[in-house]
Amino acid sequence: MYLPDFDYHAAASVEEASNLLGSLGTEAKLIAGGTDVMRMMKEGTLALKSLISITRVKDLKSITHDQEKGVVIGALATHNEVMLSPVLQEKYMSVCETAHHMANNQIRNIGTIGGNIANAVPSADFLPILIALGAEITLQTSSGSRSMPLEDFFVGPRQSVIKQDEILTEIIIPEKGFSGSNYHKFGLRRSGALAVVGVAVAVTMEDNLCKDVRIALGAVAPTPVRVPEVEELLRGREISAALLEEAGQVAAANCRPIDDIRGSKEYRQDMVRVFTRRTLRKAIDAGHV
Amino acid sequence: MKEQHSVIGKSVPKIDGRVKVTGQAKYTGDLKLSNMLVGKILTSPHAHAKILNIDTSQAEQLPGVKAVITHKDVPDLKYGISPARWDENIFCIDKVLFVGDKVAAVAAIDEEIVYKALALIKVDYEELPAVFDPLEALEEGAPLLHESFAGNVNTEIHQNFGDVEKAFSEAYHVRTDQFVGQRTYQCPIEPHSAISVWEGGKLTVYSSTQSPHYFQYYIARQFGLKMGDVRVIKPYMGGGFGGKLEPTGLEFAGAALAMKTGRPVKMFYDRHEMFAHNRGRHKQIMKITTGVDKNGKIIGVHADFIMDGGAYTSLGVATAYYAGAMLPLTYEYENYKFDMIRAYTNLPACGAQRGHGHPQPRYAFECHLDMVAEDLGMDPLELRMRNARQPNTITPNDFKINSCEMEACLEKAKELSGWQEKKESLPSGKGIGVAVGSFVSGAGYPIYRTNLPQASAVIKVNEDGTSATLYTGAVDIGQGSDTVLCQMAAEAMGFTYEQMKIVAADTETTPHDFGAYASRQTLMSGAAVKQAGEEVYQQLLEMASMMLKTDFRDLVCCLGMISSKTNPEVTITFAEVAREFFVRKGPLVGKGSYTPPKLGGTFKGAPVGTSPAYSFCAQVSQVDIDEETGEINVEEVWDVHDCGTVINPSLVQAQVHGALFMGVGEAVWEEVLFDDKGKIVNANLGEYRLPTALDMPKVTTDLVFGDELEPAGPWGVKEVGEGATIPTMGCYSNAIYDAMGVRVYSLPLSYEKVWRALKEKREQEQQG
Repeated sequence: MYLPDFDYHAAASVEEASNLLGSLGTEAKLIAGGTDVMRMMKEGTLALKSLISITRVKDLKSITHDQEKGVVIGALATHNEVMLSPVLQEKYMSVCETAHHMANNQIRNIGTIGGNIANAVPSADFLPILIALGAEITLQTSSGSRSMPLEDFFVGPRQSVIKQDEILTEIIIPEKGFSGSNYHKFGLRRSGALAVVGVAVAVTMEDNLCKDVRIALGAVAPTPVRVPEVEELLRGREISAALLEEAGQVAAANCRPIDDIRGSKEYRQDMVRVFTRRTLRKAIDAGHV
Repeated sequence: MKEQHSVIGKSVPKIDGRVKVTGQAKYTGDLKLSNMLVGKILTSPHAHAKILNIDTSQAEQLPGVKAVITHKDVPDLKYGISPARWDENIFCIDKVLFVGDKVAAVAAIDEEIVYKALALIKVDYEELPAVFDPLEALEEGAPLLHESFAGNVNTEIHQNFGDVEKAFSEAYHVRTDQFVGQRTYQCPIEPHSAISVWEGGKLTVYSSTQSPHYFQYYIARQFGLKMGDVRVIKPYMGGGFGGKLEPTGLEFAGAALAMKTGRPVKMFYDRHEMFAHNRGRHKQIMKITTGVDKNGKIIGVHADFIMDGGAYTSLGVATAYYAGAMLPLTYEYENYKFDMIRAYTNLPACGAQRGHGHPQPRYAFECHLDMVAEDLGMDPLELRMRNARQPNTITPNDFKINSCEMEACLEKAKELSGWQEKKESLPSGKGIGVAVGSFVSGAGYPIYRTNLPQASAVIKVNEDGTSATLYTGAVDIGQGSDTVLCQMAAEAMGFTYEQMKIVAADTETTPHDFGAYASRQTLMSGAAVKQAGEEVYQQLLEMASMMLKTDFRDLVCCLGMISSKTNPEVTITFAEVAREFFVRKGPLVGKGSYTPPKLGGTFKGAPVGTSPAYSFCAQVSQVDIDEETGEINVEEVWDVHDCGTVINPSLVQAQVHGALFMGVGEAVWEEVLFDDKGKIVNANLGEYRLPTALDMPKVTTDLVFGDELEPAGPWGVKEVGEGATIPTMGCYSNAIYDAMGVRVYSLPLSYEKVWRALKEKREQEQQG
C-alpha cells in the first residue's frame, strides 16, 4: 500500500481552509488527525486530489467552560486531550471515559474529537455520548456559521449535512442538569476494537424517579440514533430492575443493526438490550455526569 | 541427579538485548546498500483465473523503473517442501490460484515508483470458478486447482495402529465429536523482507528467514546455482512463528531482479501482503472418536480430519501428518487410527504455525476427553491422570519417549490452581478447565531429504584468550537462541557468558544448521555447541597441563579459571592458556555436529513427529463468562512444563508467555476472514484481533523435573517454545463448559459463539 499523490494545504485559519475547500471542490477533503482518511487513501478506498490540514489553525484545541454556553470543546482537541481535560473531568467525566476507551494510545494522541464526528462513522465512540448529553456543534465557513444539535448532523454512514466549505469548529455541551451519564462501548477486545454496539445514557434522577433521560446508540444503524421509545417509557417512572430490562427490550426492538464481520444483526440487537439496561443502571448510579 | 552448572541455568541478559533496546540492531528492512533498488510483487486480484496476457510495456516505460519481470524471466521449476508435491512457481504461468498469487515483479529506484509501475502492468484474466471450502473442494465436479492433483486432494493419509475397531467394540463407552479449527496467521511484528545482491557470479541474500540454509538450498536449486555460490544472511529478526520458514517469493523475485539490473534489490511485504502470502495455520475439520473402559482408560482413538490447505502445498504435507501424529504423545493407548485429507482451495496457502498442526487437533481431543469424562461421571483431570504417558514408553505410532513428566505436570497444575476446591466452589459464571500438550524437541528428520547433520558449530577462541566466538547456523528470530547457545558454549568451555561473542545464521561464515523450526535449536544446535565447547576445553586443559606441568586429569576449568583439583594454589587463567595455545599451535578452535539417532517406524509418514525428546505440559485456566454477552474473561492460567534442564529461566518464562499469548489469541479472537470472492476482509491488525496486553490473563508458570535427565539432549534439555501454544484452546473451551455448561465446537471461541450456545441452551431448557 502506498499513499497516492495529492496536494497538501496547511491552512492557517478556518477562513483559509473554508475557502480552499470551496474552491477545490469535492476532490478535496479536510483533515485533522487524518487517522481514518490517510488509511482509506492508502487502501485505495478514498481518492482525493487535495488534503487541507487544519492542524495549524490556532484556538481550535481548547476545552473551556462558559457560563452561558456550557462546555465548549475545540474540534481539534485530541482524544487524549479530551480524556485529560480538567474541565471535562469535572463536568462530564463520561466523555473523558469514552475517550479513554477509544482505539489505542497512538490514535488517541493524534485523532481529534472533531474528526471523530465529521467522519460520521456509525460506530464512532464520541457520537452516542455527546448526543445523549444534548451536544450542539458549530459549522463555520469563511462567511459565517451555523449551529445545530449533533444528532441532526448525520445522514448515513460517512454522510452528514456538512457542506463542502463548512468546517466543524466546536462542540458545545449545554448545561441540562443531568444527574448522571455513561457510555459503554462493547468491543471484541479490551483495546483497539471498534464498537460492535455503543450505548450512551444521560439521565436526570430525583431519588428513584427518572425525571428525564436521553439515550443514544452507536453501531446499530446507519447513523447514531436516539431511542425516543425508551426515553418515553422511562420518563416520569420509578426505576426498577424490571423497568430497565423492559427499556433494553424496547431499545433492541427499535434499532436497525446489520450483519458484518464483527457481529450478526441478531447478536447486536441482543447486545443493545443488555447494554441499554446496564448503561442505564450505571448512569443512574454513577454519581457524576 | 542435579549437576552443578556455572553458566547454564541462569537468567543472564539476552546477548542482543542492548542493541535491540537502543535501536542499534538493524533488521533486513533497515539495511541500505549503495545503489539499491526497491522491488515489489504484483499479485492476482482473482481467486482462480487463466492468465491470457501480461503487458508490461507501460510499466517498463515509467521513468525510474529498472526492471519488470514475469514468469518468462525466471526458471519455471516448481518448488515446495517435497518432490512429490512441488506445485509452486516463482510467478504464475498459466493461471492464478488465489487472491494474492504472484504474477510479476518490478524493481525501481524508489518505493513510490514501484507502486506506480505495478499499477501499469496490464494482466488479462479469464476468471474461473473458484472453491473456498475444503469439503466442497473434495466434491465431484469442484473446480480443479492443479491438473496433477485429481479431486483437489493434496495429501491423503491413512494410518492404522493396533485394532481400533476391535477396541471400540470392546469398549465400555465410545463417543464421537466433531470440531472445527480456524485459519489463523502468525503476524510476526517484523514484515517479511529480503535484499538480493549479485557480485561476481555470487548471489547474497539478506533475509528475514527462520532457515538461511533452506533458503540457500531452494534459491540455488531454482536458479541452477551451486549452493556455495549462494549466501543467505539473517540480520536481526522480529519473529517468524513458522511463517518465515519457507521461501516467501521475495527471495526468488529479488534474485531475478537483482540479476537483471545488476543492482541490489530490496523486496518486502506490507501487512496486507503478509496476510495474502499467509502460510499460517490450516483450518481443520476434526472428527474424533474415543473408546474407554469403565475406569476411563483410553483403549482406542480414531482421528478423522480434513484440512483446508489453500492453493499450494507450502509446508502443509508435514502439517497434515503432524495433526495426527502428535495426538498419542500425551496419553497411553495402543489402538490408534488416523485419516486425513488435505484439500486444495482457492485461498492463500497454509503452512507451519507455532505448534505445527497440533494445537487444533489437541483442542478437539481435549474438549472431547472432557465430554468422555462427563459421560463417565469422572473428574476430567482424573481421567487425564489415569491415561498420562509414562517415561520410557513407545507411542502406537512408534515414537520413543524417554523422559516424560506428564503426570507430574498434571499433578502440579492441579495443586497450583487449587483445582479440587475450585471445582466444588466456583460460583456460577466462573469455571475451570484443564488440557495438556506435548511437542517435539526438533524434528527427527531434516526439512528436505538429505543426510547432512542437523546442526554443527565452531568455536574460535580469540588470539589473546579474552573472548571466544561461537559460529553457528542456528537462527535467533527473537526467541533467544543466540543467548542460550552462548551460555551452553561457555558452560562446555569452562568460560564466561559475558565474554562470548556470536556469529550466527550466515550460510557462508557459519557452519550448517537447519534453523529455527520444530523447537529444535536448544537440543540440536545445543548438542553441536556443547561438543564444540568440549573440544576447546580438552585442548585448553592439555595446554594448561603442559604449562603447569601437572597431570591433565587433575585440572578443571570453570568460569575462565583453570585450577588443580588437588592443589588449590595452582591456578592459571583461561585467557593466559588460550594465548599460549595460539602462540604454540595456532587458532584454538573447537567444532561439533549433531545427527539424531535413527528414529521412528517404517510405515508411510513414520518420520513426521519423530524427535529425540518430547516436552510435556499441563494447563489449567479459570474463566469468568458474561452469561448475557458471551464475553470471556480469562482470569488466570497455570502452565506447568516438563521442558527438561533449563538453560535460561527468564527465556523459558518468556517462551511460555509468548506461546500462551498466541494460544489466547487463537482461542478467542483470531481468524482470517474472506469475502465470497476469496479476498481477505481483515488483512490488518485492527480487524484481525491479536490480544492486547489488557487481554492477557494472569499467568503462573512452573516447571517439573524427573529423577532422570533427558538422555537425548545436551545437559538434558528439551523443547519449550511451541509447547505452551498447544493446550490453550482446549483448556479455555473446557473452562467455558465448566462455567456455563455450553460447548463451542469451533474456533475461535468468540463472544458471539458463546452467546449463541447459551441462548440455544436456554431455549432448549424452556422447551424441555
